Amino acid sequence: MNLTEEQRKIGRRNFLKAVAGAPALVALGAAALTRGPVRGGPVKIALVGTGDMGHGLLNQYQREFCDLKALCDVNPKRRAAMVQMMVEKGWPKPNEYDDWQQMLQKEDLEAVHIATPLWTHKEITVGSLDAGKHVLCEKMMAKSADECQSMIDAAAKNKRVLEIGYQRYYNPVYQAAYTNIIKQGMLGDIYHVRLQWHRNSSWRKTEDAPAANFDPSRWGYPDWDHLLNWRMYRKYSEGLLCELGSHQLNATSWFLDSAPEAVYCTGGTYRYKDGREVFDHVYATFDFPGGRTATFSSIQSNAFEANYEMFMGTKGTLIMSREFDAFLFHEGESANTRVEISKQSGPVADASATQAADSTARTVDAPVSGTADKGISYRNEIAEFCSAVRTGSPVRCGGEKAKASAVAILTGNSSADKQTRLQIAPTHAS
Amino acid sequence: MTEQPKTLVNRSQSITLIVLRTLIGWHFLYEAYFKIMSPAWSRGGGPLTPWTSAGYLQGASGPLGGIFHRLVNAGWTVWLDRSVKVALLVIGLSLILGLFTRVGLWLALAMLALFYLLYVPTLGIPQPNNEGTYLIVNKTLIEAAAVAVLLMFDTGRMAGLDLFLRRKYSS
Repeated sequence: MNLTEEQRKIGRRNFLKAVAGAPALVALGAAALTRGPVRGGPVKIALVGTGDMGHGLLNQYQREFCDLKALCDVNPKRRAAMVQMMVEKGWPKPNEYDDWQQMLQKEDLEAVHIATPLWTHKEITVGSLDAGKHVLCEKMMAKSADECQSMIDAAAKNKRVLEIGYQRYYNPVYQAAYTNIIKQGMLGDIYHVRLQWHRNSSWRKTEDAPAANFDPSRWGYPDWDHLLNWRMYRKYSEGLLCELGSHQLNATSWFLDSAPEAVYCTGGTYRYKDGREVFDHVYATFDFPGGRTATFSSIQSNAFEANYEMFMGTKGTLIMSREFDAFLFHEGESANTRVEISKQSGPVADASATQAADSTARTVDAPVSGTADKGISYRNEIAEFCSAVRTGSPVRCGGEKAKASAVAILTGNSSADKQTRLQIAPTHAS
Repeated sequence: MTEQPKTLVNRSQSITLIVLRTLIGWHFLYEAYFKIMSPAWSRGGGPLTPWTSAGYLQGASGPLGGIFHRLVNAGWTVWLDRSVKVALLVIGLSLILGLFTRVGLWLALAMLALFYLLYVPTLGIPQPNNEGTYLIVNKTLIEAAAVAVLLMFDTGRMAGLDLFLRRKYSS
């Protein structure tokens, strides 16, 4: 090709003239990619584990976010009841499975929601991730740091979302308290956090096996009681510190913006000598950087004041009680202030008076008034996970953060076993 | 060789007309894109209400409303939705690329006229969930008028792929 300079100019000008719309198309494409909608409907999901936790979660599934394809549980009676519940709520009937691997082979799924006993989390999560599914796994993450890491690695290798469900992260009361009180420095310097989860009950469930010929050994349990009361046995569970304490410790790490460095834990099985292998009374002290300490106690012999997290700062005290009630006491003052939630503008905190922040606000006073929507944490958790799957939005508690939290709890139990204070191995997440 | 029509406009006027055509094309194309993407999620993380023309057509109060009420009630919604998406896409690409521009403009005019006749603003007071206050004249009618103006000029041959077509068939 041998063009004169004039021919080149003419050619270039003609081309630019002919493609006058191209810049607009490029701009439209760029705008659509960064601002426009993301294609896709509700996330095709299955729930594995339809026990008490699974029941609570299913009740909060929303059809605009979830396309529930299947339910999986080793207990056919419980599973059928949950299928029936969803059908009665107007959902298309989900398919039933007792084997999660079979479910993954047969169902066209995008995501798996796991609410099974702790000891199965790693296997189901890694299997689902390797099958190309996104995973929302209820807390605690797993029974060892290695198991947690294998879940993180599987998510990274398969480029899938892995989120660990700690309800407090998705609770508007906690979000409001963190944003408007903790981050604003209203408590001053926090040196001590008191965590309490006290109950006056055995924690043991009684329920008949689903059928006379039901064989728990197929699922790794020697008998029906071990399956039903898996939380009582160390092979399957990490006890009160995990099942209850991990919620509170996780919230503490969130509010203190750091992970604990050391733990001393003690306790014992003092009241319910019924063959359980986990403590019924647990006391732990977690040391955070900067001279900050969180103490946790969980007892099953007295339910006074039930459960709360109390953040004690140099300027004030914040009490998060029973998940949905919050109080702020200014140091040296007797007045208290409730955290308010605005339906219009999202969570807000009014630190000056016990009154609604706007005309449609309501106090978060569930235990007293019974009006708080306790399902909102579950709904937010599931919705945000589906959003992460669909749009790539960030998750509140990914694998690294959940691993750090789990390792602190697991180290706490090791401390109790060894009857000594232990350093918590850093996991590079706080 | 056929005689080439004269544009009779200067450079500034040409640019203005092309910009107008591109903007209207963008409007149509993005409307098509959004509807084709449905069901969809916002970047903020929430699912968007799946798009369908059914609600819009069933609520139509203009002279053509009755026809479309009957079509929707007869189960034509799926076909109507597809037709709207295809029409918006074709018009948008035509106007932005300057390809078969006159056909695209006529289609745009027809579509805008249809939308206008489905909802002729006769109340003259603000309507719930709608910005602005209109009596007889609304933005749809103004956009239709802008398309009519473009039809008076051969903008495809000022800039656009119609230029290539003209050269190919005139040589």
